[in-house]
Amino acid sequence: MVAEYSWLIPVFPLASFVLILLFGGRLREGGGHLAVAAVGASMLLSLAVISHVVRFGSYESRGISWFGSEAFRFGVLVDPLSAVMLFVVSFVGFLIVVYSLGYMHGDPGVQRYYAEISLFIASMLSLVIANNLVFMFISWELVGLCSYLLIGYWYRKPSAASAAKKAFLVTRVGDILFLAGILVVYREFGTLNLSEVFELAPGVATATLTLASLLLFGGAVGKSAQFPLHVWLPDAMEGPTTVSALIHAATMVKAGVYLVARMYPLFTPESLHVVAWIGGITAFIAASMAVVMTDLKRVIAYSTVSHLGFMTLALGVGGYAAGIFHLLNHSFFKALLFLSAGAVLHAVHSQDIRDMSGLWRRMPVTGTAFFIGAWSLSGLPPWSGFWSKDEIMAAVHSYSTPLFWLTAVTALLSAVYIWRLFFIVFTGRESEQAKHAHEAPLVMRIPLIILSLGALFSGFVVFAGFGEFVQGALEHAPEAAEHASGSVMLLSILLAATGTGLAALTYYRPVISAARVRRALAPVHTLLVNRYYLDHLYYFFATRVVADSARALRGVDEFIVDGTVNGTGRAAVCSGRKLRLLQSGVVQDYASWVLAGAFLLLVIAGLIGGGV
Amino acid sequence: MVTVYHYVFLAAVLFIIGAYGMLSARNAVRVLMSIELMLNAANINLVAFSSYSGTVSGQALASFVIAVAAAEAGVGIAILLVLYRRMRSVNLREAVSMRW
Repeated sequence: MVAEYSWLIPVFPLASFVLILLFGGRLREGGGHLAVAAVGASMLLSLAVISHVVRFGSYESRGISWFGSEAFRFGVLVDPLSAVMLFVVSFVGFLIVVYSLGYMHGDPGVQRYYAEISLFIASMLSLVIANNLVFMFISWELVGLCSYLLIGYWYRKPSAASAAKKAFLVTRVGDILFLAGILVVYREFGTLNLSEVFELAPGVATATLTLASLLLFGGAVGKSAQFPLHVWLPDAMEGPTTVSALIHAATMVKAGVYLVARMYPLFTPESLHVVAWIGGITAFIAASMAVVMTDLKRVIAYSTVSHLGFMTLALGVGGYAAGIFHLLNHSFFKALLFLSAGAVLHAVHSQDIRDMSGLWRRMPVTGTAFFIGAWSLSGLPPWSGFWSKDEIMAAVHSYSTPLFWLTAVTALLSAVYIWRLFFIVFTGRESEQAKHAHEAPLVMRIPLIILSLGALFSGFVVFAGFGEFVQGALEHAPEAAEHASGSVMLLSILLAATGTGLAALTYYRPVISAARVRRALAPVHTLLVNRYYLDHLYYFFATRVVADSARALRGVDEFIVDGTVNGTGRAAVCSGRKLRLLQSGVVQDYASWVLAGAFLLLVIAGLIGGGV
Repeated sequence: MVTVYHYVFLAAVLFIIGAYGMLSARNAVRVLMSIELMLNAANINLVAFSSYSGTVSGQALASFVIAVAAAEAGVGIAILLVLYRRMRSVNLREAVSMRW
């Protein structure tokens, strides 16, 4: 039975991490081919395990226990949910590692790159198949570490180093909440095994479940860059574009959404309400910022945040299958967009879209790939983004009206920002930089083509019973969100078409002047360009509140704590220095002390006893 | 009439003179002599109490004290001789190499 070997899935990339770390320097491309082989092996095994799950249902192993404790019994759980995630991570991961062979060619630190990316894929895969919350948390922290290392891959660049630190610190806030959630679960359930927790969940008080699920959701907010912890993801674009595509679009940032989906039985209606609103707000503010950014990768990054918000929103409103469906589709079209953006950066050597124009003629394959990605993302039929976005909107529609309109506006903005990007970069007159552009090498083009096919056709799995399959991961599945009703579907198409039209009229056939719109909406534009001043707020908080209170506490530490410790020592030394003067060496001095002591004893005896 | 109090008073005066001499003298020989004085002050007390209580145990103890004092003086003077050989002096204020 192939599922019994599913524990091997993360072992291949882990082995390649160790080997590349030790011997990568002696291999060609810093061991890149080894990484490709290891991730490829993982992918093949994953596909075999997934087909097993599709045919025979979930598989769970007993696992091995750590420290001889039942709470730390780490095994493998592959159910429909992890199967989908396993597919995304191993398949997209494989394509991106292949693409790296072209993209990272000739970079001096390439050995480190392949080692870290192998470790990342290993820990991401073990996060997905973990059957124990602590096991999951360990992998969770490992992917966070790899994210930090890879964002700061070009560590000599100060902006990359500080972006890495920012990502690490901001996600840490979520990680602490996740850990607290695990503690609450352990205290209440007495076990950390996922299946056992799900079995016990219906018998636990609602308030406790709400607390536990909100704490776990806190972890998801950090990792999946949800409002208000979304600030790290756009800065994370300092890393190589392959890293942005793999970690910050297709896999790691999905870990938060995956966590919510994984722990779904613990979520009460109250906590789902919070999840839904956080998701909706995230989707909206990120989409609005994406409209004004001028950095190619940042626009896509904000779009990622926005779409992660969509997924969270879907889970929050009970559209479980819709959220996972969007997760699958998003991995394809967003990885595709990032990789084609990477090809553009490779050719133009700039990230600013104002330097790019009319690239279509020089880079037709990349342009087509970007076009397909944009089409899919904007939610125009018939490609993948349309189907999942539609299901999400249907689910939101039956949940709450204000949230639905927020989603509708976001959907409109999605179409605007992605087509704006496409028209600016690929159409129009050729810019100076574009004249030297050239198409990407073959090893980069093939992953683009495969991902394009994914972005086009992954949406059709919905007709092959995807929803029912994913719902199978839940014991008590929420009622399957009804398929999009006619009017919602029509509205969704209309919004996407309007957005596309607006972008085309502004940036393709300049009927609307972008500059005039910007002037008319100057305050809004300033607000958006400054990212709602959230980064300023955090900066203020970090420098004023945290640093100042730290300084005050340092005073307490130095004067009171250290003072007590040092004072004790100093008192001993001082009294010793004084007391040693008694040792004069003169015998008669000692004799007088003896005499004085005897006299004192006599006096005391006289005072208390009287009858000597 | 001579009472026990007179003897005790005499012993106290002798003891104090001895103590003063022991603490103030520079010369080690003088210190030894002062110690003899203090021991004998104690002996006077012993003999006086013995005589007034009509028992002999005090007198017996006094004889012991005299014997021990003789031995102590012998040991003390031996130490003084060694000290004198080393330092060419018997001034106790100078024998302070063991301080601090």
